[in-house]
Parts: sequence; C-alpha cells; structure tokens
Amino acid sequence: MNNTEKAVNGFRFLPPSLGAWIGKDIPAQPFKGDIPWTPLKKPIRKTSFALMTSAGISMKSDLPFDVAREKREPAWGDPSSRQIPASAGEKDIDVNHLHINTDYIKQDINVMLPLKRFQEFEKEGIVGRLASTCYSYYGFQMDPAELLERTMPDIADQMQVENVEAVLLTPA
Amino acid sequence: MTPEFHREIGIPRVAAIEYPYGRPVGQVNDIEGQRTVLLETLSFMEKADNPGKIFHLPFTWPEEPKHTKWQPPEISPIAKLFLDEIKEAGAARKKK
Repeated sequence: MNNTEKAVNGFRFLPPSLGAWIGKDIPAQPFKGDIPWTPLKKPIRKTSFALMTSAGISMKSDLPFDVAREKREPAWGDPSSRQIPASAGEKDIDVNHLHINTDYIKQDINVMLPLKRFQEFEKEGIVGRLASTCYSYYGFQMDPAELLERTMPDIADQMQVENVEAVLLTPA
Repeated sequence: MTPEFHREIGIPRVAAIEYPYGRPVGQVNDIEGQRTVLLETLSFMEKADNPGKIFHLPFTWPEEPKHTKWQPPEISPIAKLFLDEIKEAGAARKKK
C-alpha cells in the first residue's frame, strides 16, 4: 500500500467466476525473489520515454497480430511485437485482441497507448522527449519464452538506438 | 490493472488503477482525465526508489463494472476451453 487511501482491486471488473479461476493461481504471499531495477538517471522532465502496450495494436500497413491461430490453439498467444510510430493516430492502426473489447482503442488510441498525451507533455516540458517509436505486443502469453527471449530483446535494442531512458507499459 | 499479479512475478514499479480492461488511461476523448492519470503515474515513477513499489492510483471509474462493456464480443478461446473449470471456481468461491 502507499500514501493514498484507495486499494485497487484488480478483479473488480472481472466476472466473479473468471476472477476466481484466475486468482486461484496467484500466490497469497508477497513476491519473493529479485526484481529487476534500473533507477531513473534524470528527473522525468529530462527523461526520454517510449510507450509500450500489450493490447495487440498494429499499424494497418503491418501484419495484424495472429488471433486466427489462437482460435485454433487456445493456449497460444502471438509472441511477436509491432512498432507504432509516435505520430500514429486512430486511422492508422488496427487492434486485434481476443480478451478485451477493442472498440474503445479504435475510437481513441490514447485510452491504451497515450501518444498524444505524451506529445503534449513533451511540448509542455513535463517529460524530456517521446521517442519516435513506440511498441505493442500481445499480452496473452501462457508460455512467454519467445516473447521474453526474442521479442523483448529486439525491442530493447531499438529503444537503445533511440536513447530511450524510461518506458511506460500499459497492460490491456 | 491487476496489481495482484505482482505477487506472482515481481514488477519493478506498478501504478495500479481500478479501470476496466482495455482503457487503463481513461475514457475515450477525456483528455483531462487521461492527463490526470498519467501525471499521477509519472509523479510516482519519479518517487519510486526501490523495486516492487505499488502505487494505488486514487481514481474511480464512473460506471459500475457491469456497464463497462470491456469484454470481447465472443468469449476468449482460453476461457471457452476451460469454461467448466471457471464455473467450478465460481461455485467454490460462492461456498466460501
């Protein structure tokens, strides 16, 4: 907990049965183990950001995330990623995700990947910079090996090329 | 969205929010609401000084969960595959 009074209930919006099913595999005890940690090197107002989401957003000019295979193989989730230019808007994107209603993202990409808001923050000096490339992957991963071992290192390489110093990840 | 997952995998910094899936930043075209969520998140990011911190964002979605329409038009393949287990988990929850 923290200094606010609200305690977020992550299951509030799930149907009770689905919440019980998902929740049964989550340990009751706090996490034990090492957690990766990179301290911020600069104040936020001088930090270069990239945005990333697990919502299955792709550019219309790219291959969409493969939900057809997931329909055939329900335990499989597309482990690839897509680059989303920071200039992208609703007319440029497609959204494929079998676990959420994608209509709201198609109406306003900022509800999921807040590109416009970070462009405003950059102009206002609230953040240092928004990198020219942002990212989407597909959050349903029963086996995250390929996502972690191949997809994410490629994303990290591109972030380093663009001198990204912090990432805001918005889960779907 | 689901800070409880932190207990399973450990996450460096979490700004948890009780908003429906698919809209963690806020409502469609609500520029001020989205900015407020993000500014609070950035403020937390700047203050977090060790791994595993969870900040509970103090915002409340204006609709009851049953009215949020966040779910996909069709049941997801994995939920369909495990539907019996899901129902059993729900029944066990009711008994508690």
